[in-house]
Amino acid sequence: MAEVKTREFIPASRRAVDNPQLQAALKRAGGGFDSARLDAIEELGEERWQELRERARQIKEHTLENLDYYLEMLYNRVTANGGQVHFAADAQEANEIISDLALSRGAKTVTKSKSMVSEEMGLNHSLESMGIRSVETDLGEYIIQLADETPFHIVGPAIHKTKEDVSEVFAEKIDRPGLVEIEDLAEAARETLRDDLLQADMGISGANFLVAETGTLGIVTNEGNGRFCTSSPRIHVALTGMEKVVPSLEDLAVFLRLLPRAATGQRLTSYVSMVSGPRAPTEEDGPEEFHLVIVNNGRSRLLQDEKLRGALSCIRCGACLNICPVYRKVGGHAYGWVYPGPIGAVIDPVLVGLDEAKDLPFASSLCGACREVCPVKINLPHMLLTLRSRLMEGDEESRGKATFMDSTMGHGYRMLMSAPKIMSLARRVGRMTQMAVARKGWIRKLPLPPFDRWTRSRDMKAIPKESFREIWDRELSKEGTPRSREGPKGGRS
Amino acid sequence: MKAADFLDMVQAALGKPSRELTEPYGPLDEELDSIRERAAAATERLQRERCELWEQLSGTATKRGWNVCRAAGVEEGLAYICNVASSAEFPRVVRSDQDVFDEMPVDAALGAQGVQTAVMSQSGGSTREELKSAAAMAGVGITGVDYAVAETGSVVLLPRAGVARLVSLAPPSHIAIVRPQELVATLDDLFLLRRLAYYEGDKNMGSYLNFITGPSRTADIEQKIVIGVHGPKEVHLVMLDEERAG
Ligand code: SF4
Repeated sequence: MAEVKTREFIPASRRAVDNPQLQAALKRAGGGFDSARLDAIEELGEERWQELRERARQIKEHTLENLDYYLEMLYNRVTANGGQVHFAADAQEANEIISDLALSRGAKTVTKSKSMVSEEMGLNHSLESMGIRSVETDLGEYIIQLADETPFHIVGPAIHKTKEDVSEVFAEKIDRPGLVEIEDLAEAARETLRDDLLQADMGISGANFLVAETGTLGIVTNEGNGRFCTSSPRIHVALTGMEKVVPSLEDLAVFLRLLPRAATGQRLTSYVSMVSGPRAPTEEDGPEEFHLVIVNNGRSRLLQDEKLRGALSCIRCGACLNICPVYRKVGGHAYGWVYPGPIGAVIDPVLVGLDEAKDLPFASSLCGACREVCPVKINLPHMLLTLRSRLMEGDEESRGKATFMDSTMGHGYRMLMSAPKIMSLARRVGRMTQMAVARKGWIRKLPLPPFDRWTRSRDMKAIPKESFREIWDRELSKEGTPRSREGPKGGRS
Repeated sequence: MKAADFLDMVQAALGKPSRELTEPYGPLDEELDSIRERAAAATERLQRERCELWEQLSGTATKRGWNVCRAAGVEEGLAYICNVASSAEFPRVVRSDQDVFDEMPVDAALGAQGVQTAVMSQSGGSTREELKSAAAMAGVGITGVDYAVAETGSVVLLPRAGVARLVSLAPPSHIAIVRPQELVATLDDLFLLRRLAYYEGDKNMGSYLNFITGPSRTADIEQKIVIGVHGPKEVHLVMLDEERAG
């Protein structure tokens, strides 16, 4: 499993805020993605966009409620198509399945297209420890792999790097010095990776969608590396979280309209590769073996949690990152695990453990923008508040209590994150205040706003749910987020 | 983890008493006859709107980065193809083996210009490795298409004998030849037709279905769009016009 650094959120955020180069990159990145997204939606028409979002939400909700049924259908269909399905309980098992496949087939070089699940697993390191060369072939992932970093953004893994940074990495790691222009850097990647793309023994891809009806996976990409990885090697291994299923082939028409528009403002990406199995004897090319590895790795905890289950609808478009005032200030690495931004703040704590990631649910100003942009209408602010309530009041599923700093950070977050100087001042004040009022490590009452608001109810023993609801509603209305939950479940055709 | 155990675990997480659906899902309950009817209606609509859709395709494809050639007949199409091939990075052409080449004798036309065309097909006795290296050395790949989607400006290729994916992927330039009969209006049409093909084809629709929508691109460095990172840098859509579409 990838290293978990979610405990470091506060100091890592601070460092990010103080890093001018990172701030410049963030300014460029978020805004660019978001304006492209808006253009694409405008062209489609707002009403049509809303229809598609609602339809997607319904499809996902239904599928998740019946995930056992659809995974079984998928399993049967992929098997019938001549593929092999493997189920992995966690990252370690998934790593073992893939290294076993590679070793038993004598694969020496593996080419990879983008897969966030493989980031959860730390797959490259796992393969390399077995003596198997694993090459990331998506340009952003390739840069990150060479620089030995983790992705900064789920769509643009290397958007925090300038072309000068990349130039340095290429000079040092692949012996291509002196490249200045972005075009030349991309060309160098094309040239360097071409042999591997053609010659690798095994290709590993992710999957954006799994169609249960036909046992087909859909891979949405722009560079063409994904198509190489899935067609050129003699073995194709697709790696995916268990939540990616949609029931019918026709459902893809909805999601293929939503994902590229929300992610990069494209009407459709350059390549959509749909794979249903290994090469048939009558077909010209393709892998002799096709394996689908379906990974849980903590997702069942989201699934059983009715308040958070909806987060499994995420199609990883990154729109909520691009719009989030916190992400746009602290960037992707500060979150300390694979998924940053509002979606990461919801799912990371469940996937790595709430105790490990207590600060993440507070990494939001609750401005509601993430919910507005989400193409599958995930109510992220509501989920963040659910996690906060569990941390602060210890409801039935709480796995840990918030510390004093966590909670103050929660309330003062928006102010703090918007101004680094205030942030550092507030931290100092916080510490001093804490010294003055803490008794035996417990704070009964804080004298000053905004801290008093928190302790006003905090020193009570057991707080009835309504009391948190009051805070909740007040917070939501103050921040201008729609308070009502999504309307009643729409009917399905 | 065993499949059955994994599925039981998911069912338990959901708190479901059985593996059954909690509520029916319309699209999956649809009878084959109903899919057929919808597909027939869609095909009829396509016939009616073909001229408009053909225009729409030309527009959307251009926006997605295709160089569109509206060829008023075979001769014009061939001339365009020869022109692309002669100005290519390497003057070597590979093509797939599809029926569109019966109409479009590209080998002869290119041969007359001194450009050799290799047909990428294992039925010709070449091995997988030979085909890979032929594709890797080519400057231009030429294919027909199975569908062209007016809504998105995409072409769609299906696995067939004689059609290798590398032809449209490895060379720096790809030429796709599209005829009006390959046109569909929307993604909905496309998936409906493929779904019908799946059920009519004994639950088999081939090992892949590939969309191509413009050239290969990336924005991974500083969000600047660069064309042609792993796939083709240049894509050409030769729309065989008039005779049939007009
Ligand atoms: S939560 Fe929604 S907006 Fe955020 S990445 Fe997932 S699908 Fe996109």
